[in-house]
Amino acid sequence: MRYLFWSAIVLFIFLVQGRILLFDVTPSLTSLLVYYVGIRNGDVAGIFFGSLIGTIEDSLSGAFLGPHLLSKGLVGYFSSFLSGSFFKWTPLLGVIGISTLTFVDSALVFASRSFFDKLPSTIQAAVFIITIKSLINAPLGVLIRPKE
Amino acid sequence: MSRKRLLLFLFIILSIVLMSYQSNREKLLPFRFLNKALNQFNSVTNSVKDSVTSPFKKMLLREEENRRLQAELKRLLTEQQKYKEVLLENKRLRELLSLKEQGYKGYQHITAARVTARVPDQWSQTFVIDKGFLEGIAKNMIAITPKGLVGKIYDISNSYSYLLLLTDVNFSVAVRLQENRREGIISGTGLRKCRLKYIPFEEEVKIGDIVITSGLDSLFPEGIPVGYITKIDKKEKGLFQEIEVTPFEDNRKIEEIVLLQK
Repeated sequence: MRYLFWSAIVLFIFLVQGRILLFDVTPSLTSLLVYYVGIRNGDVAGIFFGSLIGTIEDSLSGAFLGPHLLSKGLVGYFSSFLSGSFFKWTPLLGVIGISTLTFVDSALVFASRSFFDKLPSTIQAAVFIITIKSLINAPLGVLIRPKE
Repeated sequence: MSRKRLLLFLFIILSIVLMSYQSNREKLLPFRFLNKALNQFNSVTNSVKDSVTSPFKKMLLREEENRRLQAELKRLLTEQQKYKEVLLENKRLRELLSLKEQGYKGYQHITAARVTARVPDQWSQTFVIDKGFLEGIAKNMIAITPKGLVGKIYDISNSYSYLLLLTDVNFSVAVRLQENRREGIISGTGLRKCRLKYIPFEEEVKIGDIVITSGLDSLFPEGIPVGYITKIDKKEKGLFQEIEVTPFEDNRKIEEIVLLQK
C-alpha cells in the first residue's frame, strides 16, 4: 500500500511538473520530492530515491541516462545533512537548503548535458532558468522539515 | 572512508561513467515505457478537460461572434448612411445643374459653392462659402438654389466668401407678387421671416401668394422665387400694408448654392 501511494505521488509529480510554467520555467517538483525523502529518511534512502527519480526523469526527457540520475542522487544525499546530522534545521536553513539544492540539481543537469552531449540552452537562459527554479522552490523549504 | 561516503563516491563515478559511455553510443533509457503511459494519461486528462471546457469555449466563441457581428452591423449602417448622404448630395447637385441649364436672361452662371460655415453671430445672417476671389467670385454676385433666392456676396477673400442672406436686415431686393404683379421691396428682419414693403393699402393680397424678384433693382435677375406671404396686417392708418414673407429656402438647410453674375 505504501509503495502504491508513493508510486501515485511520483506519477502525479511528473504529470503536474510538465504542465506548470512560471516565467516560462518549469518548476523542479521532483527535486522537492527527493529533498523531502532525503531530509526525512536519511542519506542512503535519499540517494537511492533520488537515483530512481533521476533515472525516470532522464528516461522521460529522451536525452540520455545520467544527468538527472547524478543530480537527484546528490540532492537526496545532501538534503539529509539538514535533518540534524550536520546542520540543525530551522525554517531559514530549510529555505536556503532547498534553493541551494535545487540550484545545484539544475546546474548539474545543465553541466552534464553540456559536457556529455550538447549545450541545451544559452548560458544566459540557463542562468535564468536555474535561478527561477531555485527561487520557486525556496518558500517550500519552510514546510518540508525533518522528522522530530 | 565511511560506507556512506563510499556509496556517494561510487554513485558519482557510476553516473559519470554512464554518461561517458552514452556520449558516443546508443542512449540507455530504462524507463522509456513510462513515456507512453504518461502520454496516454495526458490525453485522457486533456479529453476530460476538453469536455468540461468545451461548452464554455463555445459560449465564448458565440459571444465573440456576436460582438463581431454587432461591429459589422454598425459599420454597414454607417456605410449605408454615407451612401444615402451621397445620393441626397447627388440629387441636390443635379438640381443645381438644372439651374445652369435653365439660366436667367442677362445673367451668367459662375459656379456652384458649398456652405462651409454659418456665422455664429445672432445679429448677422451670413454664410461662409468655399469659393473666393481665386475662383472668380466677385462682390454682389447672386446666390440661388433650386428653391429660390438665398442672398448675395458681400465680402470676398482669396479662397472663401461671405454671403449675406435674404433674412438679414441689411438685405433688400425688388420683388413682384406673382399673381397680381404688384411691385414692392423685400428686406430681412434678422429672423427667419422677411418683410414685404410698399404694397399699397388698397391692394388685394392673399396669404400664400408667391413673391418673385422683379429685376428692377438692376442687381437681381427677374423671376427668381423668393418666398410666399404668410401674414398680412392691414392697419387703419398709413399707406402700405405690413406683409410678412417666408423665404422658400430655409437657411438652416442650405448646403450648396449657385452663383450668378450680370
